[in-house]
Amino acid sequence: MKLDTLIKFQNMDRRWIFLGMGIAILLPLLFPITLSFNIDERVQSLYDSVEEVPAGSTVFISADFDPASRPELEPFFRANLHHLLRKDVKFVAATLWPSSPPLVMPIFEEITAEYGKEYGKDWCFLGFKDGKELAIKAIGENIPETFPTDIKGNKIADLAVARSFKQAKDFAMIINVSAGFPGTREYVLQIQGQYDLKIASATTAVSGPDYIPFYKAGQLTGLSAGMPGSAQYEQLVFPDGPREGERLMATQAVNVLNVGHLFIIVLILLGNIAFFVTRRVEEAAP
Amino acid sequence: MRSTIPLVLTFLVGIFMVGEYFIPHWRYHQWTAVLLEWGLILAAAAFLLGLFNLVQVNLPKVMNKEEDWGYKLVMLVSLVGTLVVGFMGNTDRLSDGQAYKWLFDFVFVPLNATMFALLAFYIASAAFRAFRARNLEATVLLVAAIIVMIARVPMGEDLPLIGEKLPQFMNWIMDVPNIAARRAIFIGAALGAVATGLRVILGIERSHLGAD
Amino acid sequence: MSGIELVGAWVSIFLTVCVLSFLYDDNPVYKLAEHVFLGVSIGYGVIEIYFGVFKPNLLDKLMNDELGMLQRSLSIVPLILIIMLFSKVVPKYSWLARIPIAFIVAAYAGVKLTGELNANLMTQVAQSIPNLAEVWEKHGFWDWSADGAGVFSSLFLVLGLAACLLHFYFSAPQNKAMQQISRFGVLTLMLSFGASFGYTVMGRISLAIGRAQEMLGLDRSAEQVAQIHPRTASLICILLVVGYLVAWRRKQGDDYTPGN
Repeated sequence: MKLDTLIKFQNMDRRWIFLGMGIAILLPLLFPITLSFNIDERVQSLYDSVEEVPAGSTVFISADFDPASRPELEPFFRANLHHLLRKDVKFVAATLWPSSPPLVMPIFEEITAEYGKEYGKDWCFLGFKDGKELAIKAIGENIPETFPTDIKGNKIADLAVARSFKQAKDFAMIINVSAGFPGTREYVLQIQGQYDLKIASATTAVSGPDYIPFYKAGQLTGLSAGMPGSAQYEQLVFPDGPREGERLMATQAVNVLNVGHLFIIVLILLGNIAFFVTRRVEEAAP
Repeated sequence: MRSTIPLVLTFLVGIFMVGEYFIPHWRYHQWTAVLLEWGLILAAAAFLLGLFNLVQVNLPKVMNKEEDWGYKLVMLVSLVGTLVVGFMGNTDRLSDGQAYKWLFDFVFVPLNATMFALLAFYIASAAFRAFRARNLEATVLLVAAIIVMIARVPMGEDLPLIGEKLPQFMNWIMDVPNIAARRAIFIGAALGAVATGLRVILGIERSHLGAD
Repeated sequence: MSGIELVGAWVSIFLTVCVLSFLYDDNPVYKLAEHVFLGVSIGYGVIEIYFGVFKPNLLDKLMNDELGMLQRSLSIVPLILIIMLFSKVVPKYSWLARIPIAFIVAAYAGVKLTGELNANLMTQVAQSIPNLAEVWEKHGFWDWSADGAGVFSSLFLVLGLAACLLHFYFSAPQNKAMQQISRFGVLTLMLSFGASFGYTVMGRISLAIGRAQEMLGLDRSAEQVAQIHPRTASLICILLVVGYLVAWRRKQGDDYTPGN
C-alpha cells in the first residue's frame, strides 16, 4: 500500500467516521437481532437485595438522573418501580438533580396508578434539594427538616408514608439511580458508613468501574452499570418478557451495542494497522 | 477584621461539621441539621448569583448589538420564558397540560440528550485517530478496552471458543486490577481531600476568601 | 395525543437534528439550538431551586406563624447570609461575601473530611487486606467459576494496589527497584483505564441509541407512532437542516473553513 494512501487514511475527514457511527447505530435498530445475555453477579445481588425487602416496608429512592442519561437509567428506574410495587413496598423519593423532577414525576404517577397506589399513603416525591454533599448529609441527619414539604407543597407531616421517617437509616434500604455527581459516591462517602445503610445503585456505564470497589467492600448491596445492567435487571423483573403493549427499552437497545462496539473495535484496529505499516514504510525508506 | 472573621468562622463551622461524625448526642445533631439547612440555602443562592452574573454579562451585549447578540437574545428570551411558565405553574408545574412540562418534554429533553449523544460520534473519531499501541502500557490499555467492549455485549457471550471465558476474564479485570487501581486513586484522593480540608479549616488555605 | 403534544413531538425531533448538525460543522442552526438549551436549562435550575429550596426551607419558615420564635429567628440567618453573598456585585461591599463563602467552604470541608476518611480511606484499605487462608479454602489458587477469584487474584490486588500507590509517590526520587514496582503499578492502572474506556464507549453509544430510538419512534406506543409519524418527521427535519447547511455552505463560498 502506498505511503500517502495510508497517511490519507489516517487523516481522513472525521465526518466519515461520524457517518459510519450513525449507520452502526441505526441499522441494528431498523433490522433488530436479539441475542440472549447472562446476568451479572452485581445485578443479581441488586435484585436479591430488593427481593429481601419485606412487603409493607418503605424504601428511599434517590432519582439522580437527567434526560441525557435516560437511555441507560430510565429502563432500570421503571423496572425497579414495578419490582417494588408488586411486592407491596412503599417508597419515599427525592432527587439531588434539578432536571430530574419533571422527568421522574410522570413515571412515578404512571406506574403507581397501574398498581392502584395512593399518593401520600403508598408513595410520595419530596422533590429536589440543592447542596450536593450537604443535602445528602442532611438526608442522613434529618429528613423532615431538609424536606419540610413535598414537591406538591404538602407538609411532610401530612404524608402518612413519610411522616414516621426521620433519618435515612429508618428506611429498609436506599435505592440510588445515579447519573454522576452528586450520586452514589456521595451517598457512600457521606452517610453509608456512618449509619450502616443498605444502598443499592444503578449508575451510568461511565461511573460503573468507579463503584465496583464500593460493591466489593460491601458498601453497596448491588450495582447495575449502564445499559447492559439495566437490560439484565429488566430480564430479572420481567422474566416472561415485556407486558402487552410495552417494550423493554434497555433489552431492545443493548443489542445495538453489539454493532456499535464492533465498529469502534474495527476503527481502533484499522487505525493501529495503518499506523504501524506507515511507521515501517517510513523506517525502511532511504 | 475582613479576613479574621471569615477565618474564625471557617474554623468554627468546619470543626463543628467534623464533630457531627463523632458526637452522637441528639442536641449536637439538632444544631448540625440547622447548619446543614443553612448550607443548602446558601448553595442554592450561589446558583442565583451565577444567574445574575449571566444576565449582567449578556444583557449589555444584546443592548449594544455586539457580536453574536442574536444568539444571546435567544438565550435570554428562553431563560425568561422558562422562568415565567415555571412560576405561573407553581406547584402544579409538572402536571400534564402545563407549559413548563411541555417545554421540558419537547425542548429541554431533546436538547440535553442530543448534546451528550454527540459524544458517541466523537469517541469513535478519537478511538480511530488517537488510540495507538505505541508501547507496552498503551497496548495493555487497548487490549483491556477491547476485551471489555466485546464481553460487555450479548455478542461477546456467543463467540465460539472464547465466548464462555471472555466475560469471566472481563469480570476478573473489573474485580482485580480495576479495584487495585481505583483503590489506589481513592486512597490518594482521600489523603489529598483530608489534607486540603484541614488546611481550609485551620486557615492555612485562604484562596476561597479572595485577595485582601 | 393532543395537538400541542403532536407539535411538541415534531419540535423535539427538529431540535435533535439541529444539534446533530454540529457533526457536520459548527453552524447557525446548531448555535441557535445551543443557546435555547442554555437559557432553558438555567431557567429550569432556577425554578427547581426556588420550589425545592428557597420556598420550603426559607420563605415558608419565615412566614410560618405556627413555628416558635427561635425557629423563625434562625431562618433569618441564611437570609442575611444571602444578602451578604449578593454584596459581591457591589465592589465597595464585596468583602462581606467572604462570610457566607467561608461558611459554605467550611461546611463542605468538614463533611468531606470525615466522609473521605471513613469510606475512601479506612474501609477501602481494610478491604484490601485479604485473609489468604480463607480464600485458599474457598477458591484455591484460581477459580474460573468465581471469575478468577483465588489466592493469585487476592495477591495481585494487594500488590497492584501497593505498586500503584508507590507510583503516585512523586515527592522523592525512585531507585531502580522502586521504578520496576512502579511500572507494575502503571500496567495495573492501564488495565483499569482500558476497562474504563470500554465502559465509557458503551455509555456514550447508549446515549446516541436513545436519540435514535426517539427519531425512529421505538420509544412510543403504536398508537402514538401512528399519530406522530416520527420517521417521516425525522426525514423532513433532516432534509430541512441539510438544505439549510448546503445553502449556508454555498453562501460562505471560498471563505469556508471546516471547524471540525
